[in-house]
Amino acid sequence: MPIYAPSLAPRPAPGQGQPAALVLLRFDLRRVLRQRLGKFFGFLFAAILLGLCIQLYLRHLMAGRGALEALRPLADAYLPQGARFQAGLLNEGMIAILWLQAAMVGGGLVARDTLHRIRPLIYAHPVRQRDYLLAKALFATGLPLAVMLAYIFLPWGLSLAVAGGAGPVWPTAPLYLVPAALAIAALMGAVTLGASALAGSPRSGFGWALGIMLGSSALSFILAGALGSPGWLALGLGNLTKAWPGLVLGVAGDGPGPVPVLLGTAFHLALWLAVARYRTRPDGAVL
Amino acid sequence: MIALERASLRYGDILGLSPLSFELPGGGGITGLLGPNGAGKSSLIQLLTGLLPPSGGSVRVFGAAPYRNPAVLARLGLVPEGDRYPGAFRGDRWLRMMGQLSGLEGRALDQALARTLEVTGMADRAAQPFQSMSKGMRQRLRLAQALLHAPELLVLDEPFNGLDPEGRLQLMDLLRQLAAGGTRVIVSSHILAEVAQLTDRILLLFRGRLLAEGSVPEIRELLDRHPVELRVTAEAPAVVARWAVDQPELAALRLEPGGVVLAVRSPRAFLPRLQAAVLSGELGIRALEPLDLNLDAVFAFLTKDNQ
Repeated sequence: MPIYAPSLAPRPAPGQGQPAALVLLRFDLRRVLRQRLGKFFGFLFAAILLGLCIQLYLRHLMAGRGALEALRPLADAYLPQGARFQAGLLNEGMIAILWLQAAMVGGGLVARDTLHRIRPLIYAHPVRQRDYLLAKALFATGLPLAVMLAYIFLPWGLSLAVAGGAGPVWPTAPLYLVPAALAIAALMGAVTLGASALAGSPRSGFGWALGIMLGSSALSFILAGALGSPGWLALGLGNLTKAWPGLVLGVAGDGPGPVPVLLGTAFHLALWLAVARYRTRPDGAVL
Repeated sequence: MIALERASLRYGDILGLSPLSFELPGGGGITGLLGPNGAGKSSLIQLLTGLLPPSGGSVRVFGAAPYRNPAVLARLGLVPEGDRYPGAFRGDRWLRMMGQLSGLEGRALDQALARTLEVTGMADRAAQPFQSMSKGMRQRLRLAQALLHAPELLVLDEPFNGLDPEGRLQLMDLLRQLAAGGTRVIVSSHILAEVAQLTDRILLLFRGRLLAEGSVPEIRELLDRHPVELRVTAEAPAVVARWAVDQPELAALRLEPGGVVLAVRSPRAFLPRLQAAVLSGELGIRALEPLDLNLDAVFAFLTKDNQ
């Protein structure tokens, strides 16, 4: 190796450059996109979404807008255009797969840094803990949110394009569903971030995230049954994510009411963000 | 540049560093942190690089406390021990991210990256994933990430571990040049010979205490007080023993079947005389083996000496 006299570039001024959270976020995104896991989930969600759109098109729109207008009374009875149908765009099956994806991807976000002992090196740069956590939280929340937004806006756009206001998806449906998706994504992000911070490897982060999700749901069912109050169901993460779309559209059904859902969401957000904050503090990142 | 005033560090109930005080001036130069494993070298590095706050006393780097202080952290570079990246990640992308975390971007980042890779000899090889790089290449990239933002203080934790002799010499050359250019370099090691080749000043740590501070000759003199045990395998051990008792450095002698164990002070003075005796045919020696030439034994001796 030839040795040259070191002539390094000048030091950047304090505060110069991109926000650290953005740099770390891009790093995580690149890391996940390179994994087979990321490609698998991308394909799975795309396939389900495609099926949903085809179903919408075939069942409701192929007959044509004019024919439906002529058969309006029959169409009204036949087309499930009510609030329950809108809430079903964020359906249980998709949310369950999303939990799985969030646990796998989010569970590794902090744990991978722990495994490779990256955090001390990051904190040896002018990076604050809140930059680090913000990057991880944005990624853990942004990924499920992006999937859910696709499930909201693609059927909505398709319905509007083909049938206008008379389509099966309400023109105002995103106003209801986007806040629900935000709440669900925030829950998934906080829980997987906390789980990942507890774990020493991505695999155990996945285990922690799934365990917390299933464990809290099981506990909530036990408490609700034992105490005879459905409000306790809001302790379960699975119940919370299932309840949000129905809640914003006013078709909550048998689940916990709005107050328990709000309290349960706030509780989980506070708890798991506090866990992540504690476990990623700079003085815990020992060389 | 660096001032520690009775700075100590606790890990729960365990005392990682006893209160220690020292000062290092700015303006270049190399300082060695010498001590066996568990001596507190990494703890001291974590205090200096702002990863941990002191449990007691004060740590000042560039006149300010370094813990969670971006103004200080922007002026120092840390080369940690061992790998610190996902194996599948490409070296240049990793460096780019580290540069961005230090506030570099755009053309300034490209220029810094190119120069640093050239300085560390990785210009043609940084685009590989880490998992396909040799240990030496990974070590160079660890150094490169610390040099990207032109730090005034460069701290290296056991940088020579796993490097081949050529790699060590090259790294030493590079560190000397950086120090000559005005960078204050702190190098930790548990091998005296490595530090002695490199530094003008040594901090000797043992069991979390600052045992000695001084130049390499001063530390060598201190270490020479420790009798080193040498096993000499000889055809006639009694002849070797007879010769050894006349030497002023001999502290103790033990006869064994087929050889003799000599405890000598100042081996650097004793060994040339032994060599001369062997070459002149005075002594018939088949093997010479140091029994306790490790720092643990030396440090244990010094600690006993200090009590």
